[in-house]
Amino acid sequence: MKIALFIPCLVNQMVPEVGIATLELLEKLGHQVILPSGQTCCGQPMTNSGCFNEAKKTTLKLLNAFKGVECDAIVCPAASCLVAAKENFHEFDDSPEAQAVIAKLYELTEFLHDVAPIPAFSKSFPHKISLQMSCHGIRMLDLATPSEQMGPRKNKFEAVLAAIPEIEIVYPDKLDECCGFGGTFAVDEGAVSAKMGKDKAQAHAATGAKYAVGFDPSCLLHIDGMVRRQKLPIETRHIAQILNAVL
Amino acid sequence: MSTSKSNVHAHKAEIFCKDESRVDWHSKALWTLREKRDRAAGSIPEWEQLRQIGSEMKLHTLTHLTEYLEEFEQNCIKNNIKVHWAKDGAEHNRIVHEILAKHHVKKVVKSKSMLTEECHMNPYLEERGIEVIDTDLGERIIQLAEMPPSHIVVPAIHMKKEEVGDLFHEKLGTNAGASDPLYLTRAARQHLREKFLSADAAMTGVNMAIADQGAVVVCTNEGNADMGANLPKLQLHSMGIDKVVPNLESAAVILRTLARNATGQPITTYSSFYRGPQDGGEMHVIIVDNGRTDMLKDKILAEALKCIRCGGCLNTCPVYRRSGGHSYNYTIPGPIGIAVGAQHDDTNSIAWACTLCGSCSYVCPTKVPLDKIIHHHRRLKAEAGKLPYGKSNYMPLVGKFMASETALNCSMGIARMALKILPGSLLKPFSGAWGKYRELPVAPNSSFEAWFKKNRG
Repeated sequence: MKIALFIPCLVNQMVPEVGIATLELLEKLGHQVILPSGQTCCGQPMTNSGCFNEAKKTTLKLLNAFKGVECDAIVCPAASCLVAAKENFHEFDDSPEAQAVIAKLYELTEFLHDVAPIPAFSKSFPHKISLQMSCHGIRMLDLATPSEQMGPRKNKFEAVLAAIPEIEIVYPDKLDECCGFGGTFAVDEGAVSAKMGKDKAQAHAATGAKYAVGFDPSCLLHIDGMVRRQKLPIETRHIAQILNAVL
Repeated sequence: MSTSKSNVHAHKAEIFCKDESRVDWHSKALWTLREKRDRAAGSIPEWEQLRQIGSEMKLHTLTHLTEYLEEFEQNCIKNNIKVHWAKDGAEHNRIVHEILAKHHVKKVVKSKSMLTEECHMNPYLEERGIEVIDTDLGERIIQLAEMPPSHIVVPAIHMKKEEVGDLFHEKLGTNAGASDPLYLTRAARQHLREKFLSADAAMTGVNMAIADQGAVVVCTNEGNADMGANLPKLQLHSMGIDKVVPNLESAAVILRTLARNATGQPITTYSSFYRGPQDGGEMHVIIVDNGRTDMLKDKILAEALKCIRCGGCLNTCPVYRRSGGHSYNYTIPGPIGIAVGAQHDDTNSIAWACTLCGSCSYVCPTKVPLDKIIHHHRRLKAEAGKLPYGKSNYMPLVGKFMASETALNCSMGIARMALKILPGSLLKPFSGAWGKYRELPVAPNSSFEAWFKKNRG
């Protein structure tokens, strides 16, 4: 397939290794991958704060970067940014061209589970990993059944990773409680955000896992800052990095 | 209320967070309720259907509110119940006082009403020489401590049993240092029994008002609504306009989810239906609007009125559990408190006391889309020029900054460089709340875009 990468500002500027892993793994899977230019931010920091006027220019800039780009799918390695982009594009532009872009948007895990599954892994990953079930991915993108919901359960995130030979998957206590990042919440409500992050980092470490693995780089960056402040014996990894290592 | 920094949620939460062991204890106590809720909800296979039916039933009632309220009133009148209408809290309090004054009431026993808290009724009546005694154990504890409730179902959840022991020693004369819950509960029961026997009138909130029956339902675990309503000849019930449901079948749906979602019980110990005064007595129902009609005008805010006040959203909320109920600047705290209270919050901060994680919306037994309502409140506040402290200054700058590749690339390039070459201690003062609590990110050598150009360009 021909895939256009949607690389959010946080990944581009602060964790390029997540972008590189995403690109490499998609290429290993036989896809043609392009990076449309002109992407900055999805507008989420502004719209989440209620500031829709302030978000408009940024959001439309991102949308325009994808308009008319020839591709089968637009893939993003950050669930929260993907959800925000979808909603914000729709908010500011409901033209057929915008709809065409929205219809092609996929979060990486979602893409690998629903659209183009990984046929086989070339290596094993003999480690214990603790899954970081970030809120927007599970509750707004349907990557997994949230713990509050009763009835049959599904978990696309676990399903993609569980196929790796020798991998051991565990969950932290309060498995899908918010880590406390919440965009500008981390700054505006510093004390509560930090306490939530601390609890989450400790819960991941308490599983004895080598890595806390997630699909949302922003949550991982926050948890990583907490892990290092607490000197906890665990490291954070993005799902793309784990998958890229075994392909 | 002043809009100074000291009143904003973040500041109050920061103070609450200073005692970390108390935060852990508070969070754990509430999470235990969430776990009990999960077990209770999971024990009935039709849980998700009940949520859907509850949601649709409440929405249906809200969209036909006038008809159902009129039907309720007509049936109440047939049942010899006196019905009063109050447009706001002040009118509610005036009506209640008039009824009580007419009967020369000096002492009222009250049970289960967040609405009277919302209307600030207790101080109003006390100023007019009427003693109001909250009879739910938790309510009585905070009344004795002269505090507002910090939770809608477990209002004294912020107090440890030792603190309750000290309070009871001072106010009720229990043994000094006693903290055994059984001993303290017995002491409270004896104290309340005297109050029940000597009260001139009883007052309760309303969990549901059943339109086709002309009856109100009050749910308690301690039986105190019944103790109150069955002793004195005069009984009053205050309800919001949103409490009406069409019939017994719809009330049954709520009865099945309410206690399960609140405390994990299959049903509250006492679910009492009042359908008329006792012989020779009087029963009054006061129906209160207090801003609810305004909320109905906004399609998104209107859904908050589907709430049945189980408190499930508070128990699951990671922010509420770590910041405490008193940090919200509104009678009702937590997600539902923001949903129904943000418009009354002069500090314009509680709408931002949320990570928008969405757990509350999935826990809710009537599917109130709490995270969407909170998000909507932020937008309404922003449009009204009421952004909270700090945000109004930096948000327009962030908007401009993010829209410019040049500005973003240049400044982030400098930031990466700074993170690499400068010692952390030098950077921390410039990194705000992030660096205060967390280690700063390890900076990469270049942006992804630059890497891509070099390796795939």
